[in-house]
Amino acid sequence: MIAGSPKSAPRVVEPADAGELAAALRAAADAGEAVLVRGGGTLLAAANPPRRCDAVIATTRLCAVHSYDPRDLTIGAGAGMTLAALAETLAQHGQFLPLDAPFPARATIGGTLAAGWTGPRRSAYGRARDLLIGSTVALADGTLAASGGMVVKNVTGYDMGKLYVGSHGTLGAFVRANFKVLPMPPARRFAVSRFDPGSRERLDAGLHALMVPPVALLIRDGFAALLDGDARGDHRPEIVALFEGSESSVERGVRDYRSTLGAAGVAETRILDGADAAAVFQRAIDSVVAPADGQEVTLLARGLPSEAVHRAEAARTALGANVPVRTLADLLTGDVVAGIAGDAGALARGVARLRDVLGRAQIVASHLPAGVEIDAWGTAPSTIGTMRALKARFDPHGTLAPGGFVGGI
Amino acid sequence: MSAFTSRLLEALGPDVVRTEPEDLAVFAFDAYSEDRLPAAAVIPRNAREVARAIAIARECGEPVVPRGAGTGLCGGAVPSRGGLVISFARMNRLLELDVRNRRARVQPGLINLELSHAIASQGVFYAPDPSSQKISTIGGNVGTNAGGAHCLRYGTTTNHVLGLEYVDTHGAVHRVSLDDPGYDLTGVLVGSEGTLGVITEVDVRLMTVPEAVRVCVAAFADVESASEAVSAIIGAGIVPTALEIMDALITRAVEAHYHAGYPENAGAVLLAELAGTHDDVAAGEALLARIAKDHGALSWRAARDQAECDALWAARKGAAGAIGRIAPNYYIQDACVPRTRLPEVMHEIDAIARDHQLPVGNVFHAGDGNLHPLLIFDRRERRQVDAVVAAGTEILRTCIAMGGTISGEHGIGYEKKESLSLVFSPDDLAAMGNVRAVFDPARAFNPDKIFPAGARCGEVGPPVHA
Ligand SMILES: Cc1cc2nc3c(=O)[nH]c(=O)nc-3n(C[C@H](O)[C@H](O)[C@@H](O)COP(=O)(O)OP(=O)(O)OC[C@H]3O[C@@H](n4cnc5c(N)ncnc54)[C@H](O)[C@@H]3O)c2cc1C
Ligand SMILES: Cc1cc2nc3c(=O)[nH]c(=O)nc-3n(C[C@H](O)[C@H](O)[C@H](O)COP(=O)(O)OP(=O)(O)OC[C@H]3O[C@@H](n4cnc5c(N)ncnc54)[C@H](O)[C@@H]3O)c2cc1C
Repeated sequence: MIAGSPKSAPRVVEPADAGELAAALRAAADAGEAVLVRGGGTLLAAANPPRRCDAVIATTRLCAVHSYDPRDLTIGAGAGMTLAALAETLAQHGQFLPLDAPFPARATIGGTLAAGWTGPRRSAYGRARDLLIGSTVALADGTLAASGGMVVKNVTGYDMGKLYVGSHGTLGAFVRANFKVLPMPPARRFAVSRFDPGSRERLDAGLHALMVPPVALLIRDGFAALLDGDARGDHRPEIVALFEGSESSVERGVRDYRSTLGAAGVAETRILDGADAAAVFQRAIDSVVAPADGQEVTLLARGLPSEAVHRAEAARTALGANVPVRTLADLLTGDVVAGIAGDAGALARGVARLRDVLGRAQIVASHLPAGVEIDAWGTAPSTIGTMRALKARFDPHGTLAPGGFVGGI
Repeated sequence: MSAFTSRLLEALGPDVVRTEPEDLAVFAFDAYSEDRLPAAAVIPRNAREVARAIAIARECGEPVVPRGAGTGLCGGAVPSRGGLVISFARMNRLLELDVRNRRARVQPGLINLELSHAIASQGVFYAPDPSSQKISTIGGNVGTNAGGAHCLRYGTTTNHVLGLEYVDTHGAVHRVSLDDPGYDLTGVLVGSEGTLGVITEVDVRLMTVPEAVRVCVAAFADVESASEAVSAIIGAGIVPTALEIMDALITRAVEAHYHAGYPENAGAVLLAELAGTHDDVAAGEALLARIAKDHGALSWRAARDQAECDALWAARKGAAGAIGRIAPNYYIQDACVPRTRLPEVMHEIDAIARDHQLPVGNVFHAGDGNLHPLLIFDRRERRQVDAVVAAGTEILRTCIAMGGTISGEHGIGYEKKESLSLVFSPDDLAAMGNVRAVFDPARAFNPDKIFPAGARCGEVGPPVHA
């Protein structure tokens, strides 16, 4: 359950390296304690709080680059390294890792992997799970287990990294991760337009046929404007697109995109370039989970790209004309985000209703009043039995974040 | 007839169940090795029949081995303990095609290339393209997490599987998807070589056919300089769709059979493919050609038309077969190193082969650092068989010492299970064992595969096929 009430403070441990982290886990397991692994702490309010938490193990000091030869297009780094620090290291060699998580200055590699975060550029570059080529994890019994390696193609044993990605620290703690990285695209443009709600369908229909597609394409509705639209009293929905690639392909992509928008009746598009484009795109990602005002809950539902616009529309009207729902429709990945504000009762009812409309939807951000509890996960998948068995096998004493995950795992 | 076979026959009928030795012989081997006959094979028509067969096998204590086309190169589909083989020869349909959302649902027995052909007119394609794509199945590709020449840009099979339907050891049918909350069971099942579940449907991701594709061929004096060019291309931040190298021995064998137009007198040939917009492809080619020339390329040319591209690719993908026509027997090794180590590892492989007096051909996915030395031998000569085993193991050790691994795409299967402990510690293996214990506590699904048996370590099993 997501709960608004404050918890009593557990002890915080900050191991200096993988060995110390594993030892801390073993000691906690031996003492029958429950442990929460923490990265940047940007997400701790999102999964259900664990049933018990005696100690927090912070990965802050596991922040070194272990191996980086830019000519290999691979990097290995400690789980506690922030995404911003990683990006900076890579940028020095004209490379990047498109993980697209919110608040990269605080979010860590381990936390991003554990949260299974998948951002809006995944149709172009793959998900975090696809970019991870090797990892070392500290298991609940204090052993360190590696899988994968430093090569980009590897079928040596089970692909354990996939199991730990998205496991929210319930099977083990990432201590190190290896990624394949990408050369930084030479050109980047971010396009922002406001449009009349009536042209939504027409836009969607024209945009999926672009020969040079954007790497991210989102319709934002009810979120704070990325540029200065709100200040001008313009609260129409916003369509945003990120183009990346060679100068010529980006130029062509933007040109075709603008003419498609034009044909759908969108008059004005603002284009940002280079670093500005990257900064505003990051703001669009942050806005998914950033608090807007007061008590609120934000849900994320996955689905088919072709249905994203329609599903976001259904979410927006789900609570009636008087209850605003802010939505985000990802036209490339099919993700739909829906956020609501209100008092305790309204939030609980709203989440239930949105889950009726969107199907399975996970809470990604919440600011709840004291005493309110809403399950972050919703209905468990039919394979929950296998998932429970995995948890029992990897963490027989329930040391790692017991109760915080899907189906009470 | 045993209780096992009669129960199978009773439940599924003679059309689905095979029990005669002459019918079972085809299920005893794959492209790596041959083993005993299974007690029975089933050729089911749907997941329900798969589930029924598995339930019966489990009740009778018989192991279960799923089988695609049997083109695996590590003994993965071989029924080393007899039992039940499940063939997907009849579950070979494209069930759903959703072009708008770039996805398709297929049965596991569908041949890889048939999927691509079926959807080509819609402007989409399925990216993983193992050289065996004309005969290997999507289910087998998922089983081994198959790679292919185009993995360099597009990734391997696991990056193109969105969800699965599988049957567990109790005969229960499950569906998993990347969109499910909870643990990524899809990701764990892909590449598990039939040891965790039997896959009965696959949801695959499709990609848009690019506007332009250009295939180029460069000749080099030797494999080392071609490898250096590849390292330099990757290091310069260019990721073409494919970067493949063939050495002189392979190039000559391939040309003798395919006449595709590869330079026959070169020490090594680089095959590069670029895809994207017309402008990007043109600019990319100029850059690649310059880097290649800077690294000693003797010639560079682009294929003139589609027919020539197809011919170059067909010849490259037929390399193993072409060697098969000129060599008494050959053994394909599969290993992977960080790409900067390519020139060095090629040098080492050459030295190892020379030490063992074995001719070696090299045809490999250079851009990924994924090597395929082909050791040529005659299996009637005991000395040569021993030499191949020893050389194969030395190559693996060399790759590991360079920060690489023992399989880039063919899998561990039966062949390399003892070598797994060269790469992973007992703790690493225990974590994998945990997964096995959850999905298949009785180790009834594809026993003797992937994991070392114990004592014997670091040997490559005897190659038996050509
Ligand atoms: C307010 C907010 C809400 C978010 N909600 C979600 C969400 O619901 N779902 C989602 O997928 N993403 C969510 N994200 C994105 C997610 O936080 C980021 O992807 C990620 O960057 C978090 O990194 P962190 O270091 O802050 O992780 P943290 O917040 O510290 O931890 C995230 C999760 O991972 C675990 N964890 C942290 N480090 C490790 C490690 N080394 N090994 C194992 N487990 C570890 C934690 O126990 C926790 O369950 C949210 C982000 C924000 C800012
Ligand atoms: C000439 C030649 C070239 C090759 N080139 C490549 C290449 O470029 N790249 C590459 O990766 N491989 C290559 N291979 C190896 C082989 O083709 C691949 O491993 C392929 O994926 C095997 O597919 P298959 O249908 O033949 O499967 P099989 O060999 O029948 O089975 C492979 C494994 O998958 C399991 N399996 C099969 N079906 C299922 C199912 N439905 N559910 C669960 N498990 C299942 C089997 O038990 C076995 O462990 C090549 C082989 C040959 C002979």
